[in-house]
Amino acid sequence: MAPSCCQVRVGPDLNGAAEVGSDRWDGRAMPASQVDEFQVIGKRVAKLDAPAKVTGRTVYADDLSMAGLLEGAILRSPHAHARIRSIDVSAAEQLPGVRAVIYAGNVTQRPFGYSHDNLPLKRDKVRFIGDEVAAVAAIDEETAKAALSMIKVDYEVLPAVFDPFEALEETAPVIHDERPDIVGNLSMRWDYDAGDVDEAATRAAVVVEGDYSSPQAAPVPIETHVIVASFDPDGHLTVWSPVHMVFMYRKELADCLGLDWRHITVIQPSVGGSFGGKIDIDSHDFITVLLARHSGRPVRLALSREEEFTGTRTRQPIHFHLRTGADAEGNLLFRDAEVVSDNGAYNAWGSHAMLVAMNTVTSMYRVPNSRVRCSVAYTNKNYGGSVRGFGNPQATFAVEQQMEELADALGMDPMDLRLRNANQSGDVTPQGLEITSCGLSDCLRIVREQSGWDQRRGTMRGRHRGLGAAAFIHVGGGARIYASDGCGAVVKVDDSGEVTLITGASELGQGSETVLAMIVAEEMGIPIDSVRVVNSNTDVKPWDVGVHASRTTFVAGNAARMAAAAARDKLLETASELLETPAGELRVRDGVVEVAADPSRRIELGRVARRRLLREGGGVVMATAFYDPPTHNQDKDYRGNISAAYGFGAHVAEVEVDPGTGMVRLINLWTAHDVGRAINPMSCEGQIEGGAAMGIGLALSEELVIFDGEIVAPNLHDYGMPTAVDVPRTVVNLVETVDPLGPFGAKGVGEAALIPVPAAVANAVADATGVRPREYPMRPWKVKAWIDAGESSHASRRAAEPADKGGGDNG
Amino acid sequence: MAEVFAAGSIEEVVAFLAGHRGVSLPIAGGTDVMVDKRNGRVHPEWLVDLTSLEALAGIEFREGGKVVRIGSMTRIRSLELDPVLGRRAAALVEAARLLGSVQIRTMATVGGNLCHGTPSAEMPPPLLVHDADCEVAGPSGRRVMPLVDLFAGPGRTVLEPDELLVALELRLPDSGVGSCYLRQTVRWSMDLAGVGVAAAVEVDGSTVTKARVALGAVAPVPLLVAEAANALVGTELDAGAAAEAGRRAAAACSPITDARGTESYRRQVVAVLVERAARIAWLRATGSWPAGVPAPANGVLPSEVR
Amino acid sequence: MRIEIVVNGDRYVKEVMADLSLLDFLREVLGLTGTKWGCLTGDCGACTVLVDGEPVVSCLQLLRQVEGRDVTTIEGVEHSGELDEVQAAFVANGGAQCGFCTPGMIMSTEALLRANRSPSESQIREALSGNLCRCTGYSKIIDAVLQAAAERA
Repeated sequence: MAPSCCQVRVGPDLNGAAEVGSDRWDGRAMPASQVDEFQVIGKRVAKLDAPAKVTGRTVYADDLSMAGLLEGAILRSPHAHARIRSIDVSAAEQLPGVRAVIYAGNVTQRPFGYSHDNLPLKRDKVRFIGDEVAAVAAIDEETAKAALSMIKVDYEVLPAVFDPFEALEETAPVIHDERPDIVGNLSMRWDYDAGDVDEAATRAAVVVEGDYSSPQAAPVPIETHVIVASFDPDGHLTVWSPVHMVFMYRKELADCLGLDWRHITVIQPSVGGSFGGKIDIDSHDFITVLLARHSGRPVRLALSREEEFTGTRTRQPIHFHLRTGADAEGNLLFRDAEVVSDNGAYNAWGSHAMLVAMNTVTSMYRVPNSRVRCSVAYTNKNYGGSVRGFGNPQATFAVEQQMEELADALGMDPMDLRLRNANQSGDVTPQGLEITSCGLSDCLRIVREQSGWDQRRGTMRGRHRGLGAAAFIHVGGGARIYASDGCGAVVKVDDSGEVTLITGASELGQGSETVLAMIVAEEMGIPIDSVRVVNSNTDVKPWDVGVHASRTTFVAGNAARMAAAAARDKLLETASELLETPAGELRVRDGVVEVAADPSRRIELGRVARRRLLREGGGVVMATAFYDPPTHNQDKDYRGNISAAYGFGAHVAEVEVDPGTGMVRLINLWTAHDVGRAINPMSCEGQIEGGAAMGIGLALSEELVIFDGEIVAPNLHDYGMPTAVDVPRTVVNLVETVDPLGPFGAKGVGEAALIPVPAAVANAVADATGVRPREYPMRPWKVKAWIDAGESSHASRRAAEPADKGGGDNG
Repeated sequence: MAEVFAAGSIEEVVAFLAGHRGVSLPIAGGTDVMVDKRNGRVHPEWLVDLTSLEALAGIEFREGGKVVRIGSMTRIRSLELDPVLGRRAAALVEAARLLGSVQIRTMATVGGNLCHGTPSAEMPPPLLVHDADCEVAGPSGRRVMPLVDLFAGPGRTVLEPDELLVALELRLPDSGVGSCYLRQTVRWSMDLAGVGVAAAVEVDGSTVTKARVALGAVAPVPLLVAEAANALVGTELDAGAAAEAGRRAAAACSPITDARGTESYRRQVVAVLVERAARIAWLRATGSWPAGVPAPANGVLPSEVR
Repeated sequence: MRIEIVVNGDRYVKEVMADLSLLDFLREVLGLTGTKWGCLTGDCGACTVLVDGEPVVSCLQLLRQVEGRDVTTIEGVEHSGELDEVQAAFVANGGAQCGFCTPGMIMSTEALLRANRSPSESQIREALSGNLCRCTGYSKIIDAVLQAAAERA
């Protein structure tokens, strides 16, 4: 087997990026000259939680047991849009074994969600099939389900709207008619202007224009949502939930249900995957707490796979009409995007997917002029959440297909066009994104070389094979969407010498626990196995926004490093007394403090901690830190540097298309990612390989097919998540640009790899067939229909050439 | 909750089913029944467990290998791994290895796959092109009928509630026979066929003397398409004959539009896959296809080995 | 209904509902929560266990049908507290991220390596295609299986 992964270090010249960061950073960033002297950073460290996971010992929410635990179940709307005339729960309440039946008529609840347009249990109306109407807690699942079937709901079915374009027409049924402040079904607008697009268009030698759409997709963690809630006799609430954003969750539980948030503890059991599906608070969370309150017993709510598809957050379909123009030399002049985001029945944070999608339209490559006109529409469908990639795969599908369409229309190689316009360190994009470390050009060159791009692209159509590329930009140093983008950390050293990191960050399986432990170990000079990480209980851990926007390594990593450095300094202070040497002449290696000039004079770190503790006036070694990246909330015009670093990468996909059936086989996927620095290369590769597989699913197979508002087949085989047979061995290149602000130079990588895959696969299908994919997933019947219709690119040239259908694409 | 009746013999099963008509359901591997039960699609008071009936399981070659009897409780995994079937009933083994996962194939049985009546099921097309008969036990004894007569509609067979599928019998000519099963799916594994196609030919010299073409997932029941097969008989299975068989098969089916493809798309794919399956069957019959090597699911070889 | 069954070498005699699934028996009756569930339709493979060495999805396995047979779950894989080769290879290669598919993935691997001591990468992919993983993209799982096979050879 050929090695499929490699690391490339770019630098040490940071191209001026160090200056950008130096006035904000306290100088702790490791100089590039020390890169090979790390003891822990850069090693392929196995995940700390892996032994428990491979033996089945790890405890997930459904593995919890407690005395008197009841099972919860939710009654969901069978109608896409209906008025609730009445709900009768009396028969269900009488069923033996039922301990609580709740509905809007017997609970205290307030609107929740980003736009406060949602209620845990719907009162007047239901707005999608799967909307929560009532719930039951009973002694077992069978009794709970039987009770649900005895609840009588009288609905007045209303006309519904499923298409976002129709939803925005004046005649459409109004989904939130209870809210006079909402105009029609327009839930949000995202309008942005930089420069003068119309003027730039007059100078363009070539303009390509087209429509690009994405489906409703799902995050599909293998573990469904399972929530347990229990009130102590004194009224204190404990919720076990796989949510990412525990502190916001606690506040929203309190706000919506009228609870005192000082008396809520949120505990995260081990999380069986999320991918954004468990990021936020949802109706089922409130319902579990309400059931516990009404029954007076602990309650578990475990969603079935079907409910996971129909009743939890999805990736919102986004429809782009995009124009891109360039001059004859291939300099990008403008992008012009008209966008409709189909966000479903309510506004969760998912309504903000355009925040990230907009970055790609305005700032992927150097684009002097750009315009975005985006409407977010309410429709009678399950609503959008913050699924991994958060709007970016949808935007990149449009933007990166047009790069290849534009290159073909200009008669240029698409890689040359990309390299010509690539973002560089030191750039500030028109939207205000400050590009510090940037390995985009290197990533492009690597995948170009490895894929044999120059020799092979455009040459394999006879064999129905093709190559396609796509690059991406994504936040990699937090994303300020809240008043703070910070994370707290506590490092304590106890009398055994063991070091505990208590971090605000959460482990979802992505490996952050291990990466944070590595950062602490490196900073303190101790072996990785003497660090324990505590991260799952709001009573214990310091505040953090939560896991999103690929921010944990960067933000929580910096916080952990700062706390570790402070704890180390305290130990060195004591060691300095014990070794009678100034602290500046000591160093710590492998858990031992030694005099740099005479390593035979040494003392083990645990002994230092004991000597500091067990003496008159002694004290514990404990240090705290809070890191909030130096970024800005975007202003009303959507300008501002929302992230302290940006991740870049490039992929090349190779496909074989069966023109007879339209079946597409992905043969190869080469990836190169600017990760800043790979703290744990194995973990980085795992994120990239896993993200790529998720992107392959988006590109080729994954879709919640909806007829008349109903998800037709909410199960795992119809949904189309890739199996081991559907995914080729992804080639991973880690490009290390050593970010000036990242911990040891690292940037976020969690979401990155799925972003460019649909675009790269579409470009490869175009290369293989000569037709231009307009939407994903590229399921066989769509590909076959495109081939039969023969639709190619729409390119127009200034030299009096009319728009030519079919003339511009791939020769 | 259902009770479980563990039968000791075929006769006991039939008697129990007869005594509990409408409230009892045979359970073989359980991979369909357990799902249906959980989804509320069936509500049996009794599950009649067939697993202890050894008489129902096994692959037995008779008449010097010219006939194979496959017990209805034979696991799909056993078909997949049978080396003789791999050589002489390639379509059946190809279909077996595309069905579900290793776990599902370890549990699921050929009889269960047939009796569940799913139009897209993997087993019917290859069994139909290998001319299978089925043996059914009922209160009045055994009867044998062509497999094609078993299917009554989506999720339905002609079996009475007190009848049990006992075995299948396939005729396997000594030589000069080849078959192939292909399908269109969204994923390359763990998927249900949007179109499933099997073809078998018997060749004398280089001329096709007998042919069968069967289709799954493109009609309420699996189809045996004689017109398509007739297009192959008497030919040397040139490209024109294969294409004509494909056209006739496409004309004979009645697919629907659903989440897994449109009606017109499915017809197109029937034509394409029948053409390819017939060609591969012919290559096998004439010894031009490496023995024991399954065809790719869509019949297209990766281009580097083409 | 009274059932007698051997799980991980231990013989159990229990009174259970007649139509209980093997999954519910393992998790709810025996408290062996290492076996996970992700769909209850046989599509994800998280609940894979071995019956007489063969892999089954325990969510669809009627308990009654495996009476008297030998069931192995993830809890029965390690040898007196030591990880076996497959488990150790999953740890070393990053084959587990969230870990939820991992018990089922390891059981399918154990079954594969019993039947095929040195599987090729494509044979591994086919053998594991009934075990969905959303985290890893399968590469590191396949590395782990290849390593475990090499160590056992």
